Formats: sequence, structure tokens, C-alpha cells
Amino acid sequence: MNATKGYHSGLLDLSKGLISREIFVNEEIYAQEQERVFARSWLFVGHESQIPNPGDFFTSRMGEESVILCRDRAGTVRVFLNSCRHRGMKVCRYDDGNTTVFTCPYHGWSYGTDGRLAGVPFFREAYHSELDRTKLGLVEVAQLCCYKGTVWANWDAAAPPFLEHLGEFSRFLDLILDGWDGREGQAELLGGVQKWIIPCNWKWPAENFSGDTYHNISHRSVDLVGAGPSGRSRRDYSELNVARKLHVTIPDRGHQTITYVLPKDHEPQAAYQNSPEVAEYFRHCEEERRKRPGANSRLMGAPGEIFPNVALLPRQPRTLAVWHPVNAHQTEVWRFFFVDRDAPRAVKNFLRDYYIRYSGPAGMTEQDDMENWNYAHSASRGVIARRYPYTYEMGMGHAVENYEFEGLRMPGRVVDLTKAQASEEPMRNLYRRWAQFMEAGSWDDLMTWRRDGERREAAE
Amino acid sequence: MSGIVNVRDLKVGTRVMLGSGAEVEIVSNPGDGVWIFVRYLAADAEAGEDEMIFAQDVVEVRS
Repeated sequence: MNATKGYHSGLLDLSKGLISREIFVNEEIYAQEQERVFARSWLFVGHESQIPNPGDFFTSRMGEESVILCRDRAGTVRVFLNSCRHRGMKVCRYDDGNTTVFTCPYHGWSYGTDGRLAGVPFFREAYHSELDRTKLGLVEVAQLCCYKGTVWANWDAAAPPFLEHLGEFSRFLDLILDGWDGREGQAELLGGVQKWIIPCNWKWPAENFSGDTYHNISHRSVDLVGAGPSGRSRRDYSELNVARKLHVTIPDRGHQTITYVLPKDHEPQAAYQNSPEVAEYFRHCEEERRKRPGANSRLMGAPGEIFPNVALLPRQPRTLAVWHPVNAHQTEVWRFFFVDRDAPRAVKNFLRDYYIRYSGPAGMTEQDDMENWNYAHSASRGVIARRYPYTYEMGMGHAVENYEFEGLRMPGRVVDLTKAQASEEPMRNLYRRWAQFMEAGSWDDLMTWRRDGERREAAE
Repeated sequence: MSGIVNVRDLKVGTRVMLGSGAEVEIVSNPGDGVWIFVRYLAADAEAGEDEMIFAQDVVEVRS
């Protein structure tokens, strides 16, 4: 490991499974993260279904920064820094809407939906027509990618394209974005985006959603209540009894997830038994999914994390969450809920109620998590607490490559949890990538897979 | 009343007088209270041209 700058073998010693509490509570490290992680990572901005028409906009965030996701008058999706080029005032202070221009309320500079600086008060009189307006448009992201309706953006022109960054992890994201019946890109947002602030560092939820199955005990009360769609446990998961439960990590990308792999000829299980109409919809979808070619018909999604701060939950509730950093000790959570766009109204209503019951600031499961992150963070801030690193030793040395179950190969490194129940391989994967970002001078140092490919070609 | 024109609610087709003395017709209004899009009328040198006009340049509503 590279120990020259102190993250590897300093604050992180993954050979021993030790991570310093400083990376969660130290404000200087937090400030460095903004430049080294968030200013050059692919970040989730929103969904195209939020901006269907020209002039539609949704005010989003990238790290600490406010950005505008909009569809310009020509129909092109764009992402801009929400900050006037004159004195930095937000040019858009609404959550969403439709407009022809973004006008700064401070001095009145006005920008088109394509970011062009369109109006400067007293341009002829005060500026004597000498201001070069072509150079003072809204700051636009260096790269943008629309993937199956989701919109991702990056400030760093040197970053690899989004799908290259995603790598083989795309199949797990597809479990949310494709229809439940397996058709491509059938998801739409259900309702608005839930937003709230929790008093902990952003890496707490990122780590938790990377695949912390060890903390299930803290959701025991929800399991007992029976919040699931059939009134049992938290989710309808009877397939678990026959599936292989895995941790899948993509080492050179920093993505990781829990996933379940079903046996080859497994039949759909009864679910959603509290509602015959919903049960019939999902039974039909499951049957259709099995008819479609492709590996995903045998995958059941579970919590995962796309580096650095996007969590996926492909199984119900079907959501993406973004952990926006506010400061070292606060995180603003944005949770987006998804549903099949052509699902019957009754199905959408049923799922909306279930999603709210489960997730979000009032959701029973999310409340358990927030309490853990809140108090773990605050109890790690003191000078004595900081002396003692956290342990991430669980399951070290037990991950394998080329994992296969009944003909279905999994990408990356895999830990079979079917008997083990838990490992901390996903967390080690997350923080290994985090440390690489904190140490790397540029994306040239981070695209290790390209170097490996070149070496293989040279050897051949 | 202050005598200041509130451009926010002016409808498309409304004619206004600018500080320069030109009379223009509103062709689009984003409703931000700061800018309106106008077309210069036949009597002006810029006749037929569309332009963004700053609210402080509007001195009078004509029709």
C-alpha cells in the first residue's frame, strides 16, 4: 500500500483491519474530501422524470454545492453550479419548476436554461458594452451522463466516463432502474424527494449501506412489528431460504453490495399477500423477468453503495439515497423512491405507503439507522475516543474472485455470507477506494484498471 | 402608489415605454420581476428586434 501521504498505513491500516476515527470526525480531513473526493467523483444529481419538459428544473446538490439540473429549451439535459458569476448569489432558490431564465436576485444578471449569460443590467451604460458575456455563463459540469433515466455529473474532465467508472457494478444499479419484469429503464420517481439532516459524518451511512448485515439486530423491533408487504418481518424475502447471500465488491471502483443469487430454476414466491392486486402484479412481473435472457433474472437486490455517496436499495423499498456532506459532523440525506412507471395506480399507492413506513426520516428502519450513526459519531469525537481505531477485521482473507453459483458468475471479489451471515469486506473496499482518492494527484492515478489492461496487452 | 412599474405580472402583448423613450411590446415574461422579453415597435430604430429589458428600464405601461 502507498503510505506516503498518511491515509494508507496511517489513518487506515487495512492489512490489520484498522481505521482511525479521525477520518470521521476530523474537520481538516473533511475539507480535503471536498476537493479530493467530491470535486472529482461521479455524483448522482437526479432523474430525467423530474424534468420532462423544456425549461423544467430541479435544484440538486453535488457535495456541498448547490446545482441546477435542467432541460434547456432545446431539450438537452444540463447541470450548472447554482451560483451567479457576478457575486455568487444563488440564481435559483426553488426546489423545482419551469422557467425561461434563471435570474440572480442580487444585481439582476440573468441566464438562459442553456447557461448562457443572457441579461446584464446596464450592459451598455455601466459596462460600456465591454463585458465579454460569452465567458460568464453559469459554470457547467465537465461531464454528464444520463443512464436509464438517472442523471450523473462530474466536475473533473479527466474522470473516466460514468459507465467505465461503474464497471461491472451496473447490473446491480439496473435492478432499480429496469422494470420489475426486466424491461430496460422502466423506473420513474414516486412522489417527491425526502430530505433531512442527520448529525453524523457522511461516511456513516455510506458504510452502512455498503452492506452492513451485522447490524440487523438494531432493526429487531421493525422485524417484530411486521412492516413488510405481507405483514411479516421487514420485507417479503422468502426466497432467502434458497438463495446464496453474497457480498460483492468491485475493488478498483469502490462499489459494493449485498446481493442474493437464486437457484437456476427457482419459481417466484408468494408476496404482497395483504393486497391481491399488488400480489398479482408482482407475480406477473416475476414470471416475465424469468423469461428474459440475462443474469439479472436470478439476482435479488439488497443494499449497496456506489462510490462515494450513493446508496442503492433495489429490493423494496426501491430507492436511491444520496449522502450529501454538510460538514464533518452533519449529512443531508436525499432519498429518491422508484416504481415501475406503468404499474397500476393501486400498486403505486400500496408501495408509497410501504416506502414511507420503511424509509425516510419517519421510516421505522431509517430511524434505527440514524440513531446508531448519530451516537456512534458523537461518541467518537472526544480526544480519548479518537485514540482508539475502529476494527474492520471481520472476514479478512475470505473473499474470492470468479465466484460462480449454478452457472452465474459474479464480478469482483465475493464473500459468501450464506453461512457466515456477515463480513466487513465491503467496508474495507469502500475505505480502500476512499484512501486512494485522498492520496491520488489525478485520475491518472485512480484508473488502475486501465494500467492493468495496458500491462496485460504488453505482456501478450 | 410608487409609480414604479411592476413588470412581474405584465402580460404578453402589453406595450411599455422604456427610459430611452422607445415603445416596446412584451413577447415573453419569465415572471421573475427583473426581466421581460420585448419587441421594438415600428417607430423605433431597432424596430422588429427582440431584446431582454431590465425592469428598471421600464418607465411606463402604455396598454
